[in-house]
Amino acid sequence: MKLKRKTKLAIAGVCAGLIALAYFAWKFPFYEYTRDVYETSAENLLTWDHLDAMKPFFMILLLSAVGIVLCIRARKRIIKSDPVNGPFVKAHTGKARGKLIEQKRSVFMTVRWMVMILSFFGLVYGGILFGVQITGISIPILSCPVNEQQTITSSCYYLAHLDELMALPLKDILIFCLSTLLSLVLLGRVICGFLCPLGLAQDVAHEVRQGLKIEGVSMTERMYRGLVPIKWVMVVLMLGLVFLGGNFCNFCPAITMSPAFAGMKVSLYISGFLMVLLLIGSFFKRRFWCNICPLGYLMGLLYKMSLFRVKKDCQACTECGACYEACPMGIKMIYTEREKTDVTDVNCIMCGECVKKCPEDHALALTFAGKEFYTASRKQVMSGYQQKERTKKRKRGEKKGHD
Amino acid sequence: MVPQELIYAAGAVPVKLCSGSYTAFAIGDELVPRDACPLVKAVAGFQSMGVMPIYDECSLMVIPITCDCKKKMAGMLEEKCNVFTMQVPIAKEDDDIEQYIQELYQLIGKLENVTGNRVTYQSLREGMELVGYAQYELSRFLEYKKKMPYLIQGTHVMAMMNAFAYMEEDAWAEQVRRLNLELKMRVREKKKVTGRQLPRIMLTGSPIIFPNIKIPLLIEEMGGIVAADETCMGERGMYDPAVPVDDSFDGIVRALANRSIRPCTCPTFARNRQRIYRIRQMIEDFQIQGVVYHVLRGCLVYDFEYRELEEILGTMGIPIIRVESDYNEEDVEQIRIRIEAFIELIKMQHLPGTKNQ
Repeated sequence: MKLKRKTKLAIAGVCAGLIALAYFAWKFPFYEYTRDVYETSAENLLTWDHLDAMKPFFMILLLSAVGIVLCIRARKRIIKSDPVNGPFVKAHTGKARGKLIEQKRSVFMTVRWMVMILSFFGLVYGGILFGVQITGISIPILSCPVNEQQTITSSCYYLAHLDELMALPLKDILIFCLSTLLSLVLLGRVICGFLCPLGLAQDVAHEVRQGLKIEGVSMTERMYRGLVPIKWVMVVLMLGLVFLGGNFCNFCPAITMSPAFAGMKVSLYISGFLMVLLLIGSFFKRRFWCNICPLGYLMGLLYKMSLFRVKKDCQACTECGACYEACPMGIKMIYTEREKTDVTDVNCIMCGECVKKCPEDHALALTFAGKEFYTASRKQVMSGYQQKERTKKRKRGEKKGHD
Repeated sequence: MVPQELIYAAGAVPVKLCSGSYTAFAIGDELVPRDACPLVKAVAGFQSMGVMPIYDECSLMVIPITCDCKKKMAGMLEEKCNVFTMQVPIAKEDDDIEQYIQELYQLIGKLENVTGNRVTYQSLREGMELVGYAQYELSRFLEYKKKMPYLIQGTHVMAMMNAFAYMEEDAWAEQVRRLNLELKMRVREKKKVTGRQLPRIMLTGSPIIFPNIKIPLLIEEMGGIVAADETCMGERGMYDPAVPVDDSFDGIVRALANRSIRPCTCPTFARNRQRIYRIRQMIEDFQIQGVVYHVLRGCLVYDFEYRELEEILGTMGIPIIRVESDYNEEDVEQIRIRIEAFIELIKMQHLPGTKNQ
C-alpha cells in the first residue's frame, strides 16, 4: 500500500519542522539559568538548591498536565461531532468505576519494573551517592551524559558529537566503539525496555492514564509506516547536526531529566518543549518517543546481533492479533508471520507486552541466547479469573456454613 | 462474530438462533431457494411457523453477514422481526478492524434502543467478566481433554457446547465448572470412557447444530471417538478470549472487535490459511488420527476449503473424508457406511504390529 499524497506532505512537513527546530534550538529558550551549574554532590540533594534545579522539570510536568487536559477536552468535542460515536460521548469520557479483571502480574513484569526503577536511580545517583562510577565504558542509552556523575556514560554524547569523538585518542575511540557494540550484542534494545530513564518516564505516564481510565490513541499500520522517514530524519539529525554547527543536546528531551534530578542547573532550550510533547504523547500512546527515538533506532538497526530474541511458534499462533494490539511499537509482523520462528524486529524493545497478552501456550517467547525466560500461556492470560473462581468458592463455602 | 459481551452489557440475554431442526427445515424448504443451505432454511422455517417461543420473543436479531444465504435471510426476516445486520469484512487488515469497530458501535446503539439501557464502561466490564469467566472454565476443560484422550465422549462435548447457545453465561460456566471437577477426579483415577484404543477423530467443517448431531453420533456409534471439533458451534466459538490492552470503554470495544475478527477461522474471509494451521495444531494437541470434514449441502464456503486441507493433511499422513449431509434422516444409512469404512481404515493403519507412517 502506498502512502497517500496528503500523508506524504504531512510527513515531509513534520520532517522539515524537526530539522528547523533542531537547527535553531538555541533560539527557543524553555528555561534559562543565569549561570549553568554542572557540579553537584550528595549534600546538595533535597535542598533548596536541588529544588531550584528541578524547577524546569516541574514546569514541564505542569505544562504536560495542562496539555493533556486540553487534549482530552478537544477529543470530547471531536467525538461529539462524530456521527457514529456521538451518542456514546458519555461512555467514552465519563467516569469509569471498577477495574477489568487483569491477569496476575508475572515475575517478568515485576522484574522489568524493578529494573527500570533501579536503573533510573542507579544511573542518576550512582556516582553521587555511592561513588559507583564506571568511566570510559559507555552504553547507548538516553540517560543524559551531561550529568557527568552517572554510573555509566551514555554513548549518545559522542554519537551526537562525532567531531569530538574523532579528536579523542585512538584508545578511547576503540573503547567507546567496543563497549557500545558489546552492549548492543549483549543487550540490544533491552536497554530501551528495561534501562532507559526516558522509557520509565513514558511507562509511568502510560500507567497514570490506565489508572485514570482515560482512553488512549491507537495507531494504525499506516501511521507507523509514516514514522519511518521521521525516524531517519532524527537519526541524521543526531549524527549530523554537529557538522552543521548545531547541537543535538539542545534538542534532545533526555537532557531535562537526569541532570535536573541529580541537582544540576542546566538551561533548557527546545528540549523542554519537546519533553512536554513527549509526556503528552506517551500519555496517550504508549512509548511514543521510542517510536521516533534516533538512538533506539540506531541500536535497532543492529538487532540481528543481539542475543535477546522474540521467538514464535507459528503453528500454535491463532493470529488473534492480541500481541499486535499490545505492542507499543506497532510491530505487525509478530502476528502475521507464519514461517520464521524468529520474529525480532528493528523496533522491538523487548518490553514483553506481546508475550503477556498472548493466549496461546508457547506461541510467543522471549529468549536470551536460545534460552526461554518468558513464555506465553493461556493460564497466565486467564489467571485473573482463577482468582475470581477462588473468591466465589469461598463465598459459597461461607453460605453453606451459615445454613 | 457478534460479541456476547455487548449484549450482556446492554442488559439483554444472547441466544444463538442457528438451528438444526429437521421439521423447521422442511417448512423453510418452501420459503427459500432449493440451493440455499439447510441452516438458513431451518431458521426461516422456525420464524414462519411461530411455534418456537424463543423466536417469537426475540426482541432483536443480529445477523452477521458471513455468506450470501445469510444476507438474503436477513432481508426476508426483516418483515417478521427486528433485524440488525453486521457487515463482516472479508480481510483482516487494520482498516477492516477499524470498520468493524464502527459496526460494533452501531450495534451498541441499536441494543440501547431496544433494551432502553445505556451501555457504559461499568456494564461492559461486567459483560466481559461474565464471558471471560465462562471462557476460563472452557480453557480448563480443554486442558483436561488435552491431557488425556478418551476422557469424555465427543457427543457429550458437542451437547455441552450446543447448550451454551441457549443458556445464560454464568449458569453455563457453573455447569462447566462442575464438569471440570468431575474430570479432575477422572484424571486422577485414570477413568476413561473406554478401555479400548478407539480411533480419535476430529470433526471440522460446517456447523453441527442441535438437534442435527447425527454425524458425531454416527462416528461414535461406529467405534470412533470425536476427540476434538473445529466447528463454529463447537469449541471454536468460545475459544478465543478478548484481551483488552486499554482499560477503557473504547479499549474494550477494540478488544472485542479484534477478538471477533482476527482469530476467527470462518471461511467467510477471503484468505483463510490460519484455519489449516489451527487444525494442524489441534491434530497435535489432541493426537488426532483422522478428520471428518462435514459439509452441509449448499454451504459453499466450507466446501471451497476442503481441497487445500486435503492436500496438506495428505502430506501429514492423516486421512480425511468429506461428508456431505442435509437436515433429514434419509442420508443416515449412507453416511453410516462411509464413516464405518473410514474408521476401519484408521484402525487398519494403526493396527498393533504394523508400524505405519
